[in-house]
Amino acid sequence: MATTTEPPTAFQFPPHYSFPPFFTLQPVATTRSSQLQSWSTFIQSYCRHHHIFSLSLIDALSTPLFHNTTLSRQLSLRDAKAILTWMASPEGGSRAEFISSTGNKKKAVDEGEGGRVWIYWRRPEEWAAQLEEWVDRTGQKGVVLTLYEIVEGEASVREEFAGMDMELLRMSLGVCVKRGRAQIFSSGGEGEGIKFF
Amino acid sequence: MFLHQLDLTTALRPSLLPEETLLFVQDAVGLYEGKFKIPQYQNGQAYLTSHRTCYVDHAEPRKNSVAIFLKDIEKPDFYAGFLKSSPKITLYPKPANQLSRGLSAPVAARSPSSGSPERRNSPAPAPSMTASWICPICSFSNPVPSNFDPALASRTPIPPCLACGIKPPTMHVVKAAIAAISNRPAPGPPPKDNKDGTTASTSSSGGIVSCPRCTYQNHPSLLNCEICGASLTTVVDRRLEHVAEIRRADSPGPSLTTPIQTTNIECIKLSFRSGGEKIFYERLKNALVQRKWLLQSAPPIPKPRPNSGAFDDSYSSKSGKSSAEIERPRVVGIAGLERRGLEQRQNNEAMIGNAFEDLEALMTSAKEIIALAEQFAQQANLGTNGSSEDNALASQSASALGLITTKDMLGSGSESLYVSELSRNLAEWLTDDTRGVLRRGGGIMTLVDLWAMFNRARGGVELVSPADFEKAARMWDTLKLPIRLRQFKSGLLVVQGRDRTDEKTIASLLTWLKSLHNEVPSSDVSWDWQLYGRGITAQETAEKFGWSVGVAIEELEMAEEAGVLCREQSLDGFRFWENWLVKMPHSSVTV
Repeated sequence: MATTTEPPTAFQFPPHYSFPPFFTLQPVATTRSSQLQSWSTFIQSYCRHHHIFSLSLIDALSTPLFHNTTLSRQLSLRDAKAILTWMASPEGGSRAEFISSTGNKKKAVDEGEGGRVWIYWRRPEEWAAQLEEWVDRTGQKGVVLTLYEIVEGEASVREEFAGMDMELLRMSLGVCVKRGRAQIFSSGGEGEGIKFF
Repeated sequence: MFLHQLDLTTALRPSLLPEETLLFVQDAVGLYEGKFKIPQYQNGQAYLTSHRTCYVDHAEPRKNSVAIFLKDIEKPDFYAGFLKSSPKITLYPKPANQLSRGLSAPVAARSPSSGSPERRNSPAPAPSMTASWICPICSFSNPVPSNFDPALASRTPIPPCLACGIKPPTMHVVKAAIAAISNRPAPGPPPKDNKDGTTASTSSSGGIVSCPRCTYQNHPSLLNCEICGASLTTVVDRRLEHVAEIRRADSPGPSLTTPIQTTNIECIKLSFRSGGEKIFYERLKNALVQRKWLLQSAPPIPKPRPNSGAFDDSYSSKSGKSSAEIERPRVVGIAGLERRGLEQRQNNEAMIGNAFEDLEALMTSAKEIIALAEQFAQQANLGTNGSSEDNALASQSASALGLITTKDMLGSGSESLYVSELSRNLAEWLTDDTRGVLRRGGGIMTLVDLWAMFNRARGGVELVSPADFEKAARMWDTLKLPIRLRQFKSGLLVVQGRDRTDEKTIASLLTWLKSLHNEVPSSDVSWDWQLYGRGITAQETAEKFGWSVGVAIEELEMAEEAGVLCREQSLDGFRFWENWLVKMPHSSVTV
């Protein structure tokens, strides 16, 4: 999990958030899909606002995301998992991905409670495009950048990817590499570098 | 006019007149006028009641249904069928001038005493009205007492035979009295009279008609006997029918091309295409002999008041045992109350005593006995913990027993007819506004509840088996009755009015939910109740609409299924809300 510090402006919760049945997953298909869509949108905007890149299900349940203290309504773990599973499915736009501790993607969903989930309010491909655009805009083409520099550097403070999870950054840069727009240098030890061209 | 417009109940059965009882029902019946088929009246159900013969068309019941008053029927005739020709019952109307006069007076207004002389069109003075009954023991002809009223037969004391001193059976005297009231030319017992009639008709030949009373051979154009003035019309009619009998062998006949001319009907035939004609004919003959329609204007039965309030003195004295009680001094206070109670008990005792003397007597006074039994039941209920709604319902419906089709009313044991009649019965019973069975259940009730209530209402006789009951309920749709059977997705079968569709239910639920937006919630709520209203439980819904909780759950889930409601599962169970999940605009923050 990345930063959890409260940003200066408070998050504007969607109107659904104060509607009690929102916290019960609906059994009827049409209502349910509409509800899942609302949840997906809500989770993404919440995470973007708080610069959250991944969630731990168990921990997130008690956060304002899944727990409305004013209504004293809380999404159950089962329902939260169902929502995230839906978000991870192609139907939900693949806006989430379960992180497997063993590296086996298929098993990640079944891992259950302890599972961590990527919340893709930007998908890695989108991140890649944005990184390229940033490099292009700031004239850093051909310059070797460290990964640390990209997420924590002064040049990127105003960018959306500031404070990004290293793992996610690697995935995004991987996309760039695949496209042939960048190259990763592994100089052993900590420092990893990347050069856009 | 021989054929009358027929009023149908909601269940498309003939709506019965007061006092009228259903005797027989047969399906697959066609109508003939003379020897011609009446188009559009070829497949329907024939209902025989104590007052009428009704035809209700199968395809167009509201349009093509007619009734023939038994009082307009001169006589019925039976034809057993031959090869492809179905058995038929022929109904001959009374001659036109008599009919029109009979029609001018409304049925209910006709009193037995004034009606009978009016119908005679003989110039000779009517013979005296004194009826006589023939003693079954010594065959002495006794006069029926002048104050004897068949409707009150069981209460009126009957003097014993003047010759042998043996008291006659009540029914015997009732029959004699009814025969006298209806004023047949021969005052003997009716069946015998019938036989006389047929011999008279057969003796007529060569256009000469012999008088049924004095046997004088009259010219056929005469309406009344030249010698004694008796009406000859009946005989003429029989002669006609005699000819018709020969003709009828030619059927299956052609159809009428023109619409029925109601003014000039020779005879109406009922063609029985799937049996039942024999029983129909038997019961028709019985009904014609009994002439229940004459009793229509009989004075009401004096009812003993349950709480022995003001006792009707004139009635109690008439029906009481001794005439000495007439000029009874008024006693007030507790003594008066006790006296009144005593009188009432004596009265009841006499009534029960008379009624249970034999079966026939019981039949004549059935109505009074039922009234008495209901009253006893009421008193018994007062002793226990009041009367529950169902009990009240059960006792109410005892009076409606006449409406209910039983298996022995139907011909040829055809199962489908029984089921369809039962189906109509049920629909009628459910839609009856005075009873309001469905209304009490909030317009909807489960089939099982209904079955129990219906059988209870039948008072323990002619109970309906669950299988028959379900079959009957499933026929509502095919019979186009105003009731429908509905299956919820859980398999629960419920009964509701046809006009109560899902859309209406949803609309009423929504209206209620919308009204909650303006209603301050009883407890503090943390959401914006003016925007979202509040959630409702099945319990609340059941209370609000008068449904059972099971039905409320099903209805709510139905509305949820339709996407109108959504659910919330919380610590205190399920609540249903308006579905803002779908309708509400998505959050303004976009991805």
